Amino acid sequence: MALFSRRNVLAILLMFALVVPAFANAYHLFVANLIVIYVLLAIGLNILVGYAGQLAFANAAMFGIGAYGPALLQVHLSWPFYLAFPAGAMVAMAVGLMISLPALRLSGLYLALSTLAFAQFAQWVFLHWDTMTFGAGGFKSPPISFAPLPLSKPVGLYYLSLITAVCVTLFAQNVVASRIGRAFVAVRDSEIAAQSLGVDLLKYKALAFGISGFTAGLAGGLYSQLLNFVSPEGFDLFQMVIQKSMIVVGGLGSIAGSALGAAAIVIILELLREAKGAQEVLFGAVLIFFVTFLRGGIVGMLRQHLRGWDEPLRGTRTVKAKPAPQVRFDEKESLP
Amino acid sequence: MLLFSYLLLGGLTSGALYSLVALGLVVVNKSTGIVNFAQGELFMFCGFLAWTVHVQFGLAYPFAFLAAIAGGFVLGVVTDRVAFRSLAKTDVVGLVLATVGLAFVLRGSARMIWGGKGDYLSFPPITSPEPIMVGTIMIVPQQMAALAGALVIMLAFAAFFRFSRAGKIMRATADNAKAATLVGISIQNVYTLAFGTGAAIAGAAAVLAAPLSLLYPDMGFAFFIKGFAAAVLGGLNSLSGAVVGGLLVGIVESMAGGYIHSNMMEVAPFVLIMLVLIVCPTGILSLYKARDV
Repeated sequence: MALFSRRNVLAILLMFALVVPAFANAYHLFVANLIVIYVLLAIGLNILVGYAGQLAFANAAMFGIGAYGPALLQVHLSWPFYLAFPAGAMVAMAVGLMISLPALRLSGLYLALSTLAFAQFAQWVFLHWDTMTFGAGGFKSPPISFAPLPLSKPVGLYYLSLITAVCVTLFAQNVVASRIGRAFVAVRDSEIAAQSLGVDLLKYKALAFGISGFTAGLAGGLYSQLLNFVSPEGFDLFQMVIQKSMIVVGGLGSIAGSALGAAAIVIILELLREAKGAQEVLFGAVLIFFVTFLRGGIVGMLRQHLRGWDEPLRGTRTVKAKPAPQVRFDEKESLP
Repeated sequence: MLLFSYLLLGGLTSGALYSLVALGLVVVNKSTGIVNFAQGELFMFCGFLAWTVHVQFGLAYPFAFLAAIAGGFVLGVVTDRVAFRSLAKTDVVGLVLATVGLAFVLRGSARMIWGGKGDYLSFPPITSPEPIMVGTIMIVPQQMAALAGALVIMLAFAAFFRFSRAGKIMRATADNAKAATLVGISIQNVYTLAFGTGAAIAGAAAVLAAPLSLLYPDMGFAFFIKGFAAAVLGGLNSLSGAVVGGLLVGIVESMAGGYIHSNMMEVAPFVLIMLVLIVCPTGILSLYKARDV
């Protein structure tokens, strides 16, 4: 058992994450919480894009629905957060399933376009359905309290996010290692081959969209609580590109990679918070660089350089298989 | 009648500009199989280049026009050399993400270079801004200029593909890349040429559009997605389809804005895209063709 196996690294990161509130100031805790939320988003998106190979651009919209859903349920119907939070995730999942219906007929670029159009449509609804979503100005979502527990709101929310993220990570690891994950990869690599093996395309595409919608919904609910404010701005195309770059940087088709990529990108983002132009240039450049030169992302590098990084069900095909042992002719000839 | 003619002309004008963006997308897609998600940002960037030449350096409009086209061509060639050449063998996901990355690099650079000047830059109009009444029809000269310019560019583009050597080479490659290699055409150069041409046409469109819409770093995406919609309506592979699709998107947008609600203007194209993709995913022109298996 190697020291730096995937399991050990993730466990160390988790232990680090558990003790963050003990020494972090308010801002660092905010960033840590943001990272945890983006880990959720990146895992959902990686299942959809990295494993199932569906080039969808609707994740920012799903994130938005997940943020608006619970906040609006709390504001309009005065539901408690503990009901509104899962309900919002369910709504996002339902929308994800709805989007998957055209996805059965569309592939590649056409799917990209239809989901882009959907994302624009969703943002338009956030902006213009004034009576429901309070329009461009956004609105305050009521803060949760962890009343019986001796936790302040930021710390409580952080642990709630962390617990959610750990559960989702474990769930995703298991899904990916199971029959479902293999079906996703089969769909990604060749739809026709997958069908001929008896993989139901509709079912598995819908499942991938549903899972990514659900995790994006969870992330959205936590995000609205983190900011205590919901406005249409946060759920635009830039949001989508942030998430896309997370999974590309971390490694397409890797759950651990999603977590690492999310952390890397959020930290870069926070360091460049002042300059939006520089933020965009750097993101674009990172995206191009990783796609062009490091297709496997961080995980691809780790797999090459860290012994014992055991990645289940390899996502991308960047790591070349060892060349088959060559049969030398003289050996053959020397056979009796 | 007044409202209708006004909306129709407005729709045709913006539609013609979407057609130009779509043409750029189709040229690139036809030769290389890539959809350039940075097309809108190339468009925006060329618009800013033209603004610099026209307003900051004070050169005449035709120079700005040429500068935008030349700038677009160079940008297209450079991006192909830097980013896309090494990606020729990867899958759709990688290519799309690379072009998205390029889009953000361009957008961020524009924000860093020009963003400090009030974010919205106005481009001086070529003609007088006063509308002219012809009977009961109102004509905005600036729109007419943009429409006429777009038509001229489309014709020039068609002529380029039909008569010039470079255009013939690109058509040959699009028809059959292997056969083109056999007669001595370098596919790599055709790819570079396609990116350059696609970006150049975006530059031309930007100079026409700039006086009508203000210039701002985020304008590219709106033009891109409408141009993409137009290209998909036309089947993503046909130049004439792209023109028809662009006009259709422009007119639908304008009519929805005029007759339903001005809010609808932003969203009508997206609803149209989703409907078209659900009903006939291979484009409107393909309805008349036999489906190949």
